[in-house]
Amino acid sequence: MFQSSNDLPTLEELDRDGALREGAERTGLPRAAFMRRLGAFAGAGLVIGGLPAEFAFAQGSAPPASDIAILNYALTLEYLESSFYNEANSKGALSGQTKSFSKVVAQHETAHVAALKKALGSKAIKEPKFDFKGTTSKQSTFQQTAIALEDTGVKAYLGQAGNIKTKAILAAAASILPVEARHSAWIRNIVGQTPAPDAFQPSATMAQVLQVVKGTGFVVGMASAAPSGAHTGNPSMTG
Amino acid sequence: MTMPNRSHDGFTVADFDHEGAVAETAAKAEQVTGGTRAGFLRKSGALAGAGLVAGSIPVGLSFAQGSAPPASDIAILNYALTLEYLESSFYNEAVSRGKLSGATADFAKLVAQHEAAHVQALQKVLGSKAVKKPTFDFKGTTEAQSTFQKTAMTLEDVGVTAYEGQAPKIKTPAILAAAGSILPVEARHASWIRDIIGHGSNPVPAPDAFNPAASMSQVLSEVKATGFIKS
Repeated sequence: MFQSSNDLPTLEELDRDGALREGAERTGLPRAAFMRRLGAFAGAGLVIGGLPAEFAFAQGSAPPASDIAILNYALTLEYLESSFYNEANSKGALSGQTKSFSKVVAQHETAHVAALKKALGSKAIKEPKFDFKGTTSKQSTFQQTAIALEDTGVKAYLGQAGNIKTKAILAAAASILPVEARHSAWIRNIVGQTPAPDAFQPSATMAQVLQVVKGTGFVVGMASAAPSGAHTGNPSMTG
Repeated sequence: MTMPNRSHDGFTVADFDHEGAVAETAAKAEQVTGGTRAGFLRKSGALAGAGLVAGSIPVGLSFAQGSAPPASDIAILNYALTLEYLESSFYNEAVSRGKLSGATADFAKLVAQHEAAHVQALQKVLGSKAVKKPTFDFKGTTEAQSTFQKTAMTLEDVGVTAYEGQAPKIKTPAILAAAGSILPVEARHASWIRDIIGHGSNPVPAPDAFNPAASMSQVLSEVKATGFIKS
């Protein structure tokens, strides 16, 4: 298996070219500046298919490597959410409005994964291996975890909005951001937490979000970003 | 009359651009298809918005001192401000009428605070460029629980599509960050009131995997249809 940290996706894993990481380490920001520099590296090999509305990039336009990294970051979070809800649904331990919530949201997160994978094509990071540590098999732990995941998702998308260079990708992210916010408000209302706690939604950086994700311990193995001959046919790793 | 040049039955794109630069180009662009809008906004970007107050503004709304956003961003901010005026007035009226109860009353109280904060932040950013508050007539929708709920849902859903529609058109990173910090809050409001109404099923708090966006002219015609803006 590819060399990767065993318990979380890192900036390195989201940016196989190393360009983003190198720039990030050297310049402690300004982020905009190093992102602009990354724009020189064109992301190649993107599949432009029949994507849902916002994901239709202009044919032949290759987003910069920084946008590819952001899309793979988003994809990682969507893999996490999608797997969480799908596991919760298949465990069958949820009831009432929480159960309805989980069914609808699982469909949404699965659609987000599919759209991001399609947009990224061969550049798409592979799905990590997850261990939700029993949080999917009990109503109350499911609820608390769903709130944490959705709130983190909102902050993550919002944190990247200013970094995205390609208009179509910004539009795509902008169509997912409010859906994650709706999910968050929904499950919060079910639980009895304030659905909209702030007048202005806080955002989070990639590093902050990955730290939160790491804190969950849910990611037990990262697959490689892009398929290559060196490690195909080795589908999983243990955590 | 605070705004003598405005039409009496609702805002138009022209109302957000007193210099006429955006509106003139917009009139042409509206006849063509969507893609041209970005083009005319780019063109109007040549006119720098002057006289902006860059004070101590909440989170995302703090611009770098001395940087003047393009006229297209000013127009977008005034468009956002108009929608926030509408929402803010609606919730304030509903709260002061005192006809709401239970979760709906809690919702209205908190959301009124949020919308007032949005108005204040946008006004502060726009300074002398801020569009004035229209006068509203909510036609009794603030006085009954069920009409309040339905109207709130419509206003919030429209707000989300409006912010989402402008996001890719915003040129100034600080303004994008500001709009970005309001967008999910409107989405949270929409989801919340939908859940209050339908307990998760009808209407569904999150009805789409990808939230639809709406153009400025689509949103303004929806606003006009409410008949809430008197002058």
